[in-house]
Amino acid sequence: MAELVWLIPAFPLFGFLTILVFGRRFGDPFAGWFATAMVFASFIASVGVYSDLLGMNEEDREHIENLYSWVPVGNLQIDLAFLVDPLSITMCLFVTGIGGLIHLYSIGYMHGDDKFSKFFLYLNLFIFSMTLLVLGENLLVTFLGWEGVGTCSYLLIAFWQTRESAATAGKKAFITNRVGDWGVMLAMFLAFSTVGSISYSVLNNNAESGLLSETTATGIAVLLFVGAVGKSAQLPLYIWLPDAMEGPTPVSALIHAATMVTAGVFLMVRINPILTVAADWVLPMIAWIGVITALFAATIALAQTDIKKVLAYSTISQLGYMFLAIGSGAYIAAIFHMVTHAVFKALLFLGSGSVIHGMHDEQDMNKMGKLFKYMPITASTFIVGWLAIAGVPPFSGFWSKDEILLFALGDSVALYVIGIITALLTALYMTRMVIMTFFGEAKWTSFANEDEMPEVSPGEEPVETHGAHGEFKPHESPIIMLIPLVVLAVGGLLAGLIQLPSLWGVPDSAEHQLEDWLHPDVAFGEAEIAGTWADDHVMLLVIIAISAALAGILLGWLIYQRKRVKAWEPTLFANGWYYNWAVSWFMGNPGREGFEDVAIFDSKVIDGAVNGVGVAVREVATTEKKTQSGYLRQYAGIIGIGAVLLLGWFVVVRGIL
Amino acid sequence: MLAQVDTFVGPDVQWFALSPMLTLLGGALGLMVLGALTPLWPKGLYATFTAAIAIAVGVLAMFQWDDISDDGPSTLVGGAIAFDTLSMFLTITIAIALLLVTLLTDDFLRGTPNDGPEIYALYMVAALGGIVMASANDLIVLFLGLEMLSLALYVLAASNRRSLQSAEAGIKYFVLGGFASAFFLYGIALVYGATGTTNISEMIAVLQTSVDVFHPDTLALAGIGLMIVGLGFKVAAAPFHVWAPDVYQGAPTPITAFMASAGKAAAFAAMLRVLVIALPFYRDDWRPIIWVLALLSLLVGSTLAIVQNNVKRMLAYSSISHAGFILVGVEAAAHSAGEADAGSGMPAVVMYLMLYSVLVIGSFAVVAVVQRETNGDASLDAFKGLVRRRPTLAIAMTVFLLAQAGVPFTSGFIAKFGVIQAAVDEQSYAIAIIAMVVAVIAAFMYLRIMVSMWLADPADGSQPVPVPFLAGLAIAAAVTFTLVVGVFPGWLIDASDTVTSYAR
Amino acid sequence: MLASETGPIAFPILTAIVLVPIVGALLVALMPKSRPEYPKMLALLSSVGTGALTLWLMASFETGDAGFQFVSKHMWIEPWGISWHLGVDGISLFLVVLTGVLFPLAIVGIDPHHDGKPYYAWLLLLQAGVLGSFLSLDLFVFFIFFEIVLVPMYFLIGGWGYENRVYAATKFFLYTMLGSAFMLVGLIATVALASKDLGKTTFDLVEIAEGANFAASTGRWLFFAFAIAFAVKVPIFPLHTWLPDAHTQAPTAGSVVLAGVMLKLGTYGFLRFGLYLFPEASYWSRHFWLTLAVIGIIYGAIVATMQMDLKRLVAYSSVAHMGFIVLGIFAFTTQSMSGSAIQMINHGVSTGALFLLVGMIYDRRKTRKISELTGIQKVAPIFAASFMIVMLSSIGVPGLNGFVGEFLILIGSFLTARWWTVVATAGVILAALYLLWAYQRVFHGEPDEENKKFRELSLKEGMVLLPFLGVIVFMGVYPKPVLDRIEPTVDALITHVEDHTDYVEPEPIVQIGVVSEHGEDDGEEGEHDESEDGEEVEHEEDEGE
Repeated sequence: MAELVWLIPAFPLFGFLTILVFGRRFGDPFAGWFATAMVFASFIASVGVYSDLLGMNEEDREHIENLYSWVPVGNLQIDLAFLVDPLSITMCLFVTGIGGLIHLYSIGYMHGDDKFSKFFLYLNLFIFSMTLLVLGENLLVTFLGWEGVGTCSYLLIAFWQTRESAATAGKKAFITNRVGDWGVMLAMFLAFSTVGSISYSVLNNNAESGLLSETTATGIAVLLFVGAVGKSAQLPLYIWLPDAMEGPTPVSALIHAATMVTAGVFLMVRINPILTVAADWVLPMIAWIGVITALFAATIALAQTDIKKVLAYSTISQLGYMFLAIGSGAYIAAIFHMVTHAVFKALLFLGSGSVIHGMHDEQDMNKMGKLFKYMPITASTFIVGWLAIAGVPPFSGFWSKDEILLFALGDSVALYVIGIITALLTALYMTRMVIMTFFGEAKWTSFANEDEMPEVSPGEEPVETHGAHGEFKPHESPIIMLIPLVVLAVGGLLAGLIQLPSLWGVPDSAEHQLEDWLHPDVAFGEAEIAGTWADDHVMLLVIIAISAALAGILLGWLIYQRKRVKAWEPTLFANGWYYNWAVSWFMGNPGREGFEDVAIFDSKVIDGAVNGVGVAVREVATTEKKTQSGYLRQYAGIIGIGAVLLLGWFVVVRGIL
Repeated sequence: MLAQVDTFVGPDVQWFALSPMLTLLGGALGLMVLGALTPLWPKGLYATFTAAIAIAVGVLAMFQWDDISDDGPSTLVGGAIAFDTLSMFLTITIAIALLLVTLLTDDFLRGTPNDGPEIYALYMVAALGGIVMASANDLIVLFLGLEMLSLALYVLAASNRRSLQSAEAGIKYFVLGGFASAFFLYGIALVYGATGTTNISEMIAVLQTSVDVFHPDTLALAGIGLMIVGLGFKVAAAPFHVWAPDVYQGAPTPITAFMASAGKAAAFAAMLRVLVIALPFYRDDWRPIIWVLALLSLLVGSTLAIVQNNVKRMLAYSSISHAGFILVGVEAAAHSAGEADAGSGMPAVVMYLMLYSVLVIGSFAVVAVVQRETNGDASLDAFKGLVRRRPTLAIAMTVFLLAQAGVPFTSGFIAKFGVIQAAVDEQSYAIAIIAMVVAVIAAFMYLRIMVSMWLADPADGSQPVPVPFLAGLAIAAAVTFTLVVGVFPGWLIDASDTVTSYAR
Repeated sequence: MLASETGPIAFPILTAIVLVPIVGALLVALMPKSRPEYPKMLALLSSVGTGALTLWLMASFETGDAGFQFVSKHMWIEPWGISWHLGVDGISLFLVVLTGVLFPLAIVGIDPHHDGKPYYAWLLLLQAGVLGSFLSLDLFVFFIFFEIVLVPMYFLIGGWGYENRVYAATKFFLYTMLGSAFMLVGLIATVALASKDLGKTTFDLVEIAEGANFAASTGRWLFFAFAIAFAVKVPIFPLHTWLPDAHTQAPTAGSVVLAGVMLKLGTYGFLRFGLYLFPEASYWSRHFWLTLAVIGIIYGAIVATMQMDLKRLVAYSSVAHMGFIVLGIFAFTTQSMSGSAIQMINHGVSTGALFLLVGMIYDRRKTRKISELTGIQKVAPIFAASFMIVMLSSIGVPGLNGFVGEFLILIGSFLTARWWTVVATAGVILAALYLLWAYQRVFHGEPDEENKKFRELSLKEGMVLLPFLGVIVFMGVYPKPVLDRIEPTVDALITHVEDHTDYVEPEPIVQIGVVSEHGEDDGEEGEHDESEDGEEVEHEEDEGE
């Protein structure tokens, strides 16, 4: 079945093409159903391949499916090839799985939008690109997917393109990612110029067998990391992700939380042997950027009032955790957290989408509250997500975050401490969010009679525009949107099972399943934790982690529910440390002025010189014109002078001298 | 050294070899006598007659060409006349010029008091003079031809009795021309003083033995300088060009065409005879001067051309810059003047002369036709929207202009290419590059004319331009020649290559 | 690059390809004014015929053969040693095909505003000129075709252009003519000097390139004489300012052709007449060109960002894109040069399509001002989608044609011109910047009154755009057929350079190591052979200086 891996991208591609042609005829909702079917088909294919790999023994679990020779020039032989191995299949499974659920959800969410079929066109294209990204056998195929998902994210963020902010956000996302792409491209060039190939198998093999010099490895690793920073919205390139929330909520869930943004993490894991050979400052750098981003974003999330913005920053923060894991050599933990995060963050986003839907496109948490009784299912599933991300056992987030922190401690105490603080903050701002949204007193009634709704989005049924007049009642979302929520909630509860630590009460057979599964991929890079102080005190760490989470929740409860403690939400946090503001200011003022100066230089100096020549010739001519006065005597004079000069030359210069 | 003899024995005259000149002479005299005796001929007959003479001259010259290519070059009439392909090539050039101009003139004179035999007779005299210059093997003979040509042209320039401009042009041309001729004659005298002969062959022989590179003969040098002044005036090379714009603009257009074609050709032929053939031993002395003259002509001609608004005047200046181009060829010829392998300079020059003659006549022909419609106005405005008023005419003019600009697939490109090639072969890269760059400046002027023809709307109330038959014929012939040579120049190049084996 | 093997086709197809449009032009010119529809039909007929011939040429082109094919050679101007020598190889093949296909599309796609007859005649003459320059293997023949294209283009811009057309046309004509002025002298000098080595005067490119060997200094002078002309045509910074004016003022078909094929005359000239004739000189001067190319990439992009006029913006983007091509040429590696060769086609297609779309916008709105356009995507989604695809290809998104070329150019240049490449790659960011910004301002947002009336893509227009989009996707997904035909020629050219210089093309080789259990000692070995590898790199660098 492994050689049928091409089916995985084939289904969404087919969906894309079909909708491209028949989309308008399919219409709403059939186009959605069709697209969803394609993604689930792709999911089934992934499962097939997965089971196939399971059947093999560990060392055989790597299959290269070569479709055709893509860019062959001289020594540069790049095939469009897929690499089937535990890592790529893991990615495929959760990309297509969660992707499918979100497709399903979107059928309800996008119902009534006049660009309904186009939305699913893009979504399918996205899934296609994403599968290419994870299945790629060489950097170029990955880059193909990498740019594909980037483009889709651009198209989907700017989906409601008539909204200025949406269009700008889309553009911002694309260009910021381009900065990262610069790194990825250079990494490919460097790889080719030194190793002669950009295929993962060769690169990793060279790294593992020591053919790859430290300098080269460092170069490749750092450059790829630049790309990862862009895609996975880490400091300093994270600024596009919060704005990306301009897109429809399912997009935020699928692309900007679950799948695309994790591509950077995936790439790092994919090249973990290179990271291992690279200079010894590379991994710490990654770890520190990760953990700082995590803390930084968490602080910002603390002060946001827009429900989606909170989730966006929390995504950035969680991605920071993953990079912390990479940096401390915990590749499995990174993937583990990626999966769990994908589940519960998708859950949270879809939940928020459901809330927004029920609140008639209200995103401001200050205008929510007490929604539990109006949308119980949404609320309860949301709570699962909340506990998961807060790191409360036995919810999935707890296990993965705990594992990361374990390795972080194995690496350095400082990392661990910051990680724990971030965990506390995470619990705090999530609690804040849950309370502001679902509990406390209903602030929305006070707006009931005022016509404060933003312009009615295409995403809702016309009959429900009663928000504008008279009594206003939040409502639970349609069933089709709730199913994914429930499924994901279950996932959010159980996802931890795939990688249980070795604690008491955990049957050995259930331990470290993901680790065993991914072992062939990360065997070279994975840090050795066993025997370190951290490993010997797992139990202690678990307790610390749990208490941190609970502390955060308690604090939140005190602040926002009981109002015992005054909320501390400095504007510095609310404004994201003014970082985004500073960047835009720089782009807007010195940057733009610089560009304008160049343009002026072009028109005035360079083109001016060209036209200047013309003018000069004209000037010369007009002065010469004076000699053509028409006066006979002057003409005779000129001829005479000429004659004298000639004689001067011949007689004096040539003759006498 | 003139032989001292008691009884004067006239040289034997090879009548047939001289037939082209004699035909012209006969034609001129005949037309004058008959024209004076008989009443006004039926319209077009003078022109037809002259055209017939021109054709005859051309045909005879071709016969001579065969003889020469069979028996090699020689001299006639006691070494006074050179009988070689150089002279024949230019004879043919001048014959073509005469033919085309005649066709053009006929209709132009209709209804003017000049509509009579005299203009045509003068044409033929001038042509004869030009041919004599081109085939002179003796400086005196050369001067004779020069004066025949010039005097005829003076009169022709002033021939439009109704136009003050024409009269002014005639006067200016006459006074300055006399001035220049004087220089030239004096130059001859000095050279005679230095070498004791005016015969070119003997001069070569004398100089071969007597010339001393380290103590050059100042007398001869002065003579050369003065002769260059005279020739430079005739070819309208800067700074001796000053007369050209006024005269070209003032003279009746067909006559301007004749001056720019036959006149220039003859003058350059003379320059080749005097400098390249007669005085190769002084080439290092006069070559730099030619270089400077070329440079000045190129610059002055093209820069001044772009600030004019009168098409005739523009073409006058452009003819100056063309003179510069030809001088580049002369300069190239100078490098290997007098040597067995005379290089590609002379061929380039003579070919340029023929091609340019046709071009310039064609251009002026169009101007003439347009002028008839706008009663004498040759300003840029007169050409506005010509493509609407008479597309064929506009296209023809475009061909001529592009050719003068040196655009490929036209004879003009071949001409320029030949000259530049000659210059480059002699390693005078600088002047070659300058010439090409200056050509760009000149191109701007041609573009200006094209713009008003193609891109400007015709002045309201302007009528379609009627094209008289003979003029149209001339233009058509010129266009055909321009394009055919542009695509298949091989035969012409072969022909011009033979001129390097001139009579010594 | 040895000449004169003849292809499978018996009759002189190349000559036919050049002559058909000329004949077409003459016939169009002879058409009676009374039937205005005839000229277009005739022009279409002739251009389609030419296109068909070029396609046939491509079909019967022998892959893997580096030399010139379908060579036809006849003595033309005997005394000057000039022969009508045509031939096609991997580098020129696709340019010829592009020229053959672009013109019919341009003719169908846009009708001139007024009197079509001369318009079509000029267009066909232009096609003949361009094809001639791509096919000729004789310096003289190349030059006359290279030069003659100015005339029809001049009249197209001047006659059917926009408000500033006369200025633009004149500027274009004189600027380019100035460039070729130097080339003509250099060309004649080349022949004159070569004749000493060859013992005869000939303008035949192949004979000179293979036979003559110029002294280094001489060769450099000659090369620069040629290079000026090509640099103006490309255009290379800072000789580019004729281009925005010409592009903006030209009628749509003019811009399409100008961007599509005429700019390629410059880069093609560099490959065919620069590197092939003067390998030493072009290698010696590579850093100069690399630098200018990189400046052009960044500079063009920056200036493009600041344009208010959509057409000007696209024009400046051409400056940037052509910079990539020059970069690839002067990096002298198989990848980079093949990249340049294929990028010439890609740029022709995508920029041609862009100008087509901009032209359609102008026809609808009678303005090119970005500020006056907005919200078009809402009223004309299909139009917007087509624009989007073309734009993405121009940005260089993988999977579309633009990327393949840029990627090959950059990855190849990285081998020999590392730091130039690092900067050039940044140009990729800027490309996204100006195009996306323009797209947002023109297509996103709410349409105002004026733009509400914007007409959706008509069927005819769609049919015209379809081939462009098809090629854009195909070349992005499966460029192999094209690369297979280009590469042998490029290799031959590089070998030619290597023969005449001390240059050795770096060719990284894949080596698979054995993974053993003991990472440490392996590591040291690794350090060891790597250091060798490192020295190798150093070595290349030295040669690079």
